[in-house]
Amino acid sequence: MSKIAEVKAKVEAGKTKLVAGLVQEALDEGDKAEDILQAMVDSMGVVGDKFSTGEIFVPEMLIAAKAMAKGVEVLKPLMAGDSASSLGTCVIGTVAGDLHDIGKNLVSMMIESAGFKIVDLGVDVPAQKFVDAVKENDNVTLVACSGLLTTTMPALKEAVQTLKASGLTGFKVIVGGAPVTPEYAVEVGADGYAPDAGSAAVKAKELVTA
Amino acid sequence: MLTKRQNLMETMKGGKPDRFVNQYEFMQMIMSVPITRVRPAIGEEKVNEWGVTFRWPEGQLGGFPVHDEEHILIKDIENWKDYVKAPSVKRPEEDWVPAIEAANAVDRNDQFVTCFVAPGLFEQTHHFMRMENALTAFYEYPDEMHELIDYLVEYELTYAKELIDHIHPDCIFHHDDWGGQISTFLSPKMFEEFFLEPYKKIYGYYKANGVELIVHHSDSYAATLVPYMIEMGIDIWQGVMTSNHTPELIKKYGGKITFMGDLDSGVIDFPAWNSEIIAKEVERACKTCGKLYFIPCLTQGLGISSFPGVYEETSAAIDRMSKELF
Ligand code: B12
Repeated sequence: MSKIAEVKAKVEAGKTKLVAGLVQEALDEGDKAEDILQAMVDSMGVVGDKFSTGEIFVPEMLIAAKAMAKGVEVLKPLMAGDSASSLGTCVIGTVAGDLHDIGKNLVSMMIESAGFKIVDLGVDVPAQKFVDAVKENDNVTLVACSGLLTTTMPALKEAVQTLKASGLTGFKVIVGGAPVTPEYAVEVGADGYAPDAGSAAVKAKELVTA
Repeated sequence: MLTKRQNLMETMKGGKPDRFVNQYEFMQMIMSVPITRVRPAIGEEKVNEWGVTFRWPEGQLGGFPVHDEEHILIKDIENWKDYVKAPSVKRPEEDWVPAIEAANAVDRNDQFVTCFVAPGLFEQTHHFMRMENALTAFYEYPDEMHELIDYLVEYELTYAKELIDHIHPDCIFHHDDWGGQISTFLSPKMFEEFFLEPYKKIYGYYKANGVELIVHHSDSYAATLVPYMIEMGIDIWQGVMTSNHTPELIKKYGGKITFMGDLDSGVIDFPAWNSEIIAKEVERACKTCGKLYFIPCLTQGLGISSFPGVYEETSAAIDRMSKELF
């Protein structure tokens, strides 16, 4: 197996203690940082798909992301500028009144590993704060809003509509969370919806490259 | 007409119930047990009996464990023993009086004297160190996680002994949420490795000491865990969401375990609730799940609803289905 293939396999398997060493070995053998990164992004894509189909679970996904992060640390000093986040910046948060963040964090990890820079606003985020974050950060191409409570669905709607009415452009809005349906996403005026973290990364990429 | 208790037993055994068991009617929860959980009221922050800080901000639906650097209980799992100290379960005898009186007032031919236990083992692990740290620790620090869970089991057994000695419960209603809406948190294999034996111990202890009925709450997807539930000694899984395809589970496992739920709180129990939605959902649940091994119930983990009137309206709709179908 080539070193790059090994990196890929170990990220998928979540070998947090091995990946950094392997990435270094791959570099030593002459592999390019960009290619190693791409291999890790690809393995997170596989992890996301397996999560979507129910083949793996939250711990496996967390541990794979952690393994990738160890590899990225080795690559960072070598990467010119921001090529690790070529798809732009994604602002993400859980909407006002809602404190659940497990799903949001998984989505954030997957979107990050797909090639976005993440600005995480945390939980209980008022609509205006999403708008401010779009203004304050460079190259925001995506805003992701999470909502887990049926009682905060109106807050989700408000977040999307405040973003859309802000006059700011250049970004798409994606929504999700257990009670959110594709129909509801359309109704509130979001550009996209995904049912889980794996497909969120796929959708995110699709939205900003469309 | 059968008593509530008889009707439940007929439903569970595949006998001849004369109506649907209506939600939580067969349990008489003894909520005055003196070993209480410390919880914040709205607008408050409180450190609970284990040292976990809970905060309930104004305008929110409920309390939440605080997991920033300063408040998180287990700062590193390798040294969990430095942070986790089980609270005492000893209380002066006189503190037990209200609970004992409440238990004595129950007609045990009609209802099960029930003690409520929460949070569960899995929930404690994430309350102590936040969900992400707990979930990755099952991979990275399995020995420490086993030790921590064993420690929680020891605590639960001392707690169980107090309940048994004072209340002699017929039924235990035990919470532990094992998943989200569409999947379990842990793979079935990992769940088996960490939680099967511990729960066998806890539920086995109750059963060995006069408790007839173990009702476990997990309002989630958990269809893949049903074989373990059966092995643990769970008699009724409360909180089964529709995402589990309850009718299929009943076909497959009915007789070994009873399913209580199939009325997703999210669909029924919301600010703009109405009796038509409730009637429609109750009819669907009752007709597709059938009369045996099934108890129509909101998935919420207590006999209440988030929005006033929903629980009662649901009960009324179930009674109407009983009239129609029995
Ligand atoms: C774990 C949990 C908690 C933990 C949360 C820990 C944390 N740090 O987040 C704790 C115990 C602290 C908690 C607290 C509370 N909870 Co809670 N909780 C849950 C539970 C069991 C699982 C949620 C979860 O993490 N799922 C796993 C993750 C991976 O899935 P997910 O969040 O759905 O996310 C996935 C997708 O939805 C999607 N997704 C998510 N966000 C986004 C965003 C985008 C952009 C996209 C594309 C996709 C996407 O991708 C994710 C990954 O695949 C659910 C029950 C359930 N069956 O879902 C209740 C549940 C959500 N909680 C509920 C309640 C009521 C509460 C409390 C009020 C409890 C209380 N009475 O004190 C408080 C909430 C306070 C508040 N204001 O928010 C209710 C909500 C009911 C309702 N009316 O909607 C539920 C449904 C339980 C129930 N049936 O009663 N909870």
